[in-house]
Parts: sequence; C-alpha cells; structure tokens
Amino acid sequence: MSTNTAIPTVAERNEQALSAERKSVIRKSKFFSFPTLLLTPILVLFVLLNVIPTIWLIGFSFYRYSLQSPDAPRPACVDGPCIPLIVIPTNIQISPTRQLEIIIPSVPPIDNYIKIFNDADIWGSFGRTLTFVILAVTIQVILGVLLGFLFWGSARMPGRRLALTLLFTPMVITPVASALFWRLLYDPTFGAINFLITTFGGQTINFLTNNEWAFPAVLFVDIWMWTPFMILMTLAALGSVPKAELEAAEVDRMSWWRKLRFVIWPHGKFILMLGILLRTIDAFKTTDLVLTMTRGGPGNITDLIGLRLYRYAFASLNIGFSSALAVLLLITAIAFTSIYLWVLNARRRSEEEG
Amino acid sequence: MNSVMRTRVYYFILWLVALIFFLPIFWIVLAAFKTDSDILAVPPKLIFVPTLEQINRALFGRGQGISNTIPYLINSIVLSVSSVSLAIIISFLAAFAFSRYKIRATNFLMFLMLSTRMVPASATIVAVFQMYNAFDIGIRNIGITQEPVFRGFPGVLLLYTMFSIPFSLWILKGFIDGVSQRYDETAYVNGASNWHVLFRVVLPQVKPGIVAAFIFNMIFVWNEFLFNFILGTPKTNTLMIPYALAVGLVNPGGNFDWGYIAALSILYVTLPIIMIFFFQKYLLVGMTFGTVRGEV
Repeated sequence: MSTNTAIPTVAERNEQALSAERKSVIRKSKFFSFPTLLLTPILVLFVLLNVIPTIWLIGFSFYRYSLQSPDAPRPACVDGPCIPLIVIPTNIQISPTRQLEIIIPSVPPIDNYIKIFNDADIWGSFGRTLTFVILAVTIQVILGVLLGFLFWGSARMPGRRLALTLLFTPMVITPVASALFWRLLYDPTFGAINFLITTFGGQTINFLTNNEWAFPAVLFVDIWMWTPFMILMTLAALGSVPKAELEAAEVDRMSWWRKLRFVIWPHGKFILMLGILLRTIDAFKTTDLVLTMTRGGPGNITDLIGLRLYRYAFASLNIGFSSALAVLLLITAIAFTSIYLWVLNARRRSEEEG
Repeated sequence: MNSVMRTRVYYFILWLVALIFFLPIFWIVLAAFKTDSDILAVPPKLIFVPTLEQINRALFGRGQGISNTIPYLINSIVLSVSSVSLAIIISFLAAFAFSRYKIRATNFLMFLMLSTRMVPASATIVAVFQMYNAFDIGIRNIGITQEPVFRGFPGVLLLYTMFSIPFSLWILKGFIDGVSQRYDETAYVNGASNWHVLFRVVLPQVKPGIVAAFIFNMIFVWNEFLFNFILGTPKTNTLMIPYALAVGLVNPGGNFDWGYIAALSILYVTLPIIMIFFFQKYLLVGMTFGTVRGEV
C-alpha cells in the first residue's frame, strides 16, 4: 500500500505524462494562442465596421423605409402591404421614435430591387457611368503609357524628383479640391480657359452648365487627375523588366517592335493590367468629382451612379431603396476586386515559374 | 543634332509635361496670393502684387462670415495621425500573424479587407450612417451620455482606422513575408518571447513598410471628404478642411469667395505635395494599396 503511493507504477506515470500533455494542449489550444491574440483587434474592428453594417445594409434593402416619411419600416413586397408571417420585435432603436422589427413576410420583399431594375433613370446612370469609365480609362491608359515610355529614360534628369512631384500631384490631392480648381478655370467670366478661347476668337463656353460640354469637361478633369497614375504604373511595369534582358535585346539589335512584344510585354503586362483594373474600379465609384463640379447637372448629363446613390441616401433619405442600390454596387465592387486579385496572383505565379 | 542637345531637348520636354500637369494647381496657388479683384480680373492676371491677405483671412478667420480655420486644421492633423497610427499597430499585429502562422482563410480575409477599399464610398456610408445612428440612440437610451459617440470623434476615428487597415495590412504582410524566418528562429532559440520577436526582431526590418503605410493612409484621411461630411457633426468638431471647402461651395447663391477657397486649398494641398516629394519611392506602393511593390 505505502509503496504504491510513494513510487508510482509505470502505468500511473504514463497516465500523469498523458494528462500533462493534455493540459499543455489545452493551454496551447487555438483559442488562446498568440496568433489569435494578434488577430483579435483587426477582427473586432472588421466585424464592427464592415460585417455589421453590411448585414444592416442587406437587411434594409428589403424594407420600404424613408427617413422622410413617418411610417415604420415595412418589408418591401411587390404588391403593396404584405402579410407578415413572423414578426420579431427588437430593442434596436433605428430613429428616436422607431424600433426595428424584423418581419419575415409571406412573399419575397424584393420590391426595391425590382424598382431599381425597372428604373430607366438608374439604367441611364449606369450607362453614363460605363461610358465615363470606358472613355476615361482608355484615354488615361493610352496617354499614360505614351508618357510613361517618354519618362522611362529620365533617371539622370536634373531635378527629376521635383518634376515627378509636380507630375504626380494631381492624383494625391482630393477630387473635391481639384474640382474646385477646375471650376475656377472653367468659369465663363473670369476663367482662364474661356479667356484663351476668346483670345483666339472663339465664343465663351459655360462648360459646366452646357449640355454638350459638361460631360467632356468633367471627363477631362478625371483624365488630368489620373493620367499621372497610369504614367506611374507604366514606369513600374517598365521597371519590372530585367535589365539583362533589355541589354541582350540591345546586343541582338532587336527591332523596337520586337523588343516591345517579346521582352517588355511579358514582364510589364501584369502591372499594367493591375493599373487598368484599379483605374476601372476607381472611375466606377467617382462621386465627389461630379458632386463638386456639377452636382450631376445640367439635367442629368453628368449624373454618375455613385452620385445618384449619394443623392438617394442623403438628399431624399430613402434608406430602403438606397440600401438596395448600395448592395448592387457592393457586389460589383467585389467582382472587380476578385478579378484584380486574380491578376495579382497570376503575376505571382508567373514570377515563381520564371 | 548632337547627343548633348538631344538630351537637353528630351529633359525639356519632360519638364514641360510635368509643368502642364501642375498648371491648374499652380493657378490656384497664384490665386491665393491675389486680391479679390485680381482673381476676378478679366483678362486673368499673371503679373500682380502678391498679398498674404487671403491666407491670413482663411487661417485666422478674419472677414465676414468666415470662421477660424485653425480648429479644422488641428482636427485634420489629430484625426489623421491618430487613426493611421492605430490602424498601423492593428495591422502590424495581424500581418505578422498572417505571415508567420499558417492561418486558415488568410487569402480570403486579405481579399475581404481589400474589397472594403474598392466599394463606392456612398455604399459604405449608407450602412455605417444607419448603424451609427442606431448605436447613438441606444447609448442615449441606456443613459451613458447624451453626446453622440459614434456620430462624433470616436466614431469617425474608428471608421478612418478601418479604412486605413486594408492598405497597411497588405503592405506590411508583403514586407514581413520578405523578412527571413531565420531571424525569428534564431531569436526563439536564444529564448526570446513572441513579443520580443515581434517588436525587436521583425519590426525594425519593416520600417520602410510602416513609413509607406503611414504616409499614404495619412494622405487618404487628410483628403477624405464624404465620411466627414455625412457622419461628422459640427458640435463634435470632427469637420476637416475639405468640409469647410465644400461648405463654401455647396452654399446656394453661386457667388464663391474664390480668394478664401484658394487660400484654404493651399493650406490643404501643401501636406500631400510635401509628402510625395519626400517619400516618392513609396508612391507606387501607396497608389496601389500596397499590392504592387517597387520604385519609380
């Protein structure tokens, strides 16, 4: 008996070792581990400021709810008021007088989406945005690539840093400020551009209120702002071509076209693609530029989809409808982002192979 | 034409291109040093007697209906520095975890983070606006405070932090991936703690990444207009200069105080321009949210 308590048998020792191991497993369990600790802040913030608002947004996109009307939020069923199947009252106060009720109706509450689908104005905005994106990005890419090639051999230019700072300034200052500068330049009475036009014998043009000129005028400002970005991306793409290959091409006396096709393009295409995609995404969400320059006018000639969403949400305070539109834009953005990352990964893979 | 001449012409053309792109900004810089009548002069004046009147007016709020700009300026600085610092600390920790521990769904999480930067700002604001309002009503009902918390400084700060995170995370993960794991192992073998490895071994080697993340997020917050315009309330003083700019502009009537706007613009664009002059080598990484690395 006494020997048994003093000296543990082999079996007991094994048992002890096992339980110690188990304890250490518990201590190192994933939940309390170091990486979890490191990830906690980012996840908390992500859930609080991205996940919850997104759920909120998706939820409200199924409701008929405007801050301007006194009615409580009701599910947006297609044919008028729909019979609620389940009503879950919550404590969430969405405005000083209203509490949120989660209502699950008998028919799908997708009226907001159907309204968007049938809204000619919104489709017009989409079309206009598409035109804007295609024109802006195409011109920026062409100009940016040409100027990028021009700047390629400038490594030893005196004052290069200052020159590049001046060149890249348009893209780091906010669109609101740029839009203001251009309003001053476009001004019909004391703007510099109209002064030049009249000096050369032309007629004064009120660019921002003229039906024919407003869209090109806004487009031009976007091109001015973002061509430097494409120059930057072109320079980066050219910088990613290995020097040895360029020198070899030089030694082989390759023609300029062949050098472009077989040496520069295979290395540079990815960064250029990333640039084009980022520009597309950014141009798609242009809001503050048109908000500051024209507020969508004259008529709806410069009414881009970002601005339209802004107006539904904050001018007419139509929360339900604007949430639905926001959800659609969210999906578009996520689709664009996946394409972007797909190209980014393709680039990594090709770098690893070659 | 000999080669020296050719190089000169080439450099001249490059400078010309750069200056053409800068011209509209130069015009507003000029306007800030003009008197009101000089700004509105027809034909536009290139030669004039410079005056500091406009800048003085904008900075100290002298003149009719113009408020003191210095509080806005302070808010801009406080808000951008604090939110970006917070974002960098949070994303440095996360980037280390993503880079060193094989966390499931790393790619998916990184994708989600990046996609938050690709969404139109209005879509984000619609959602956050509703949520913040509900939170504030909740806080008021519980009786913690009557002041808006989320529609105030803390809320805007958090939102900017969240917006600075994706970029910081992408760039810092890239940099930490580039630090060889051998450093960590050597430190661990010598008995270092996790925190020691994190802050004494890895952190010093990713300083350039931190600088890049700091500069470009700071420019972003500095430039941000919509969030502040919608979510900020005048009472809580979270308004920044862009808002002040826009108010001068959005006001109906159509008569802008161009001198004031020009002077504000100068106060406002100086920081981004100085930043890209001194941190030009981070420009590429900055403009691509940290997804493309390299120098110009």
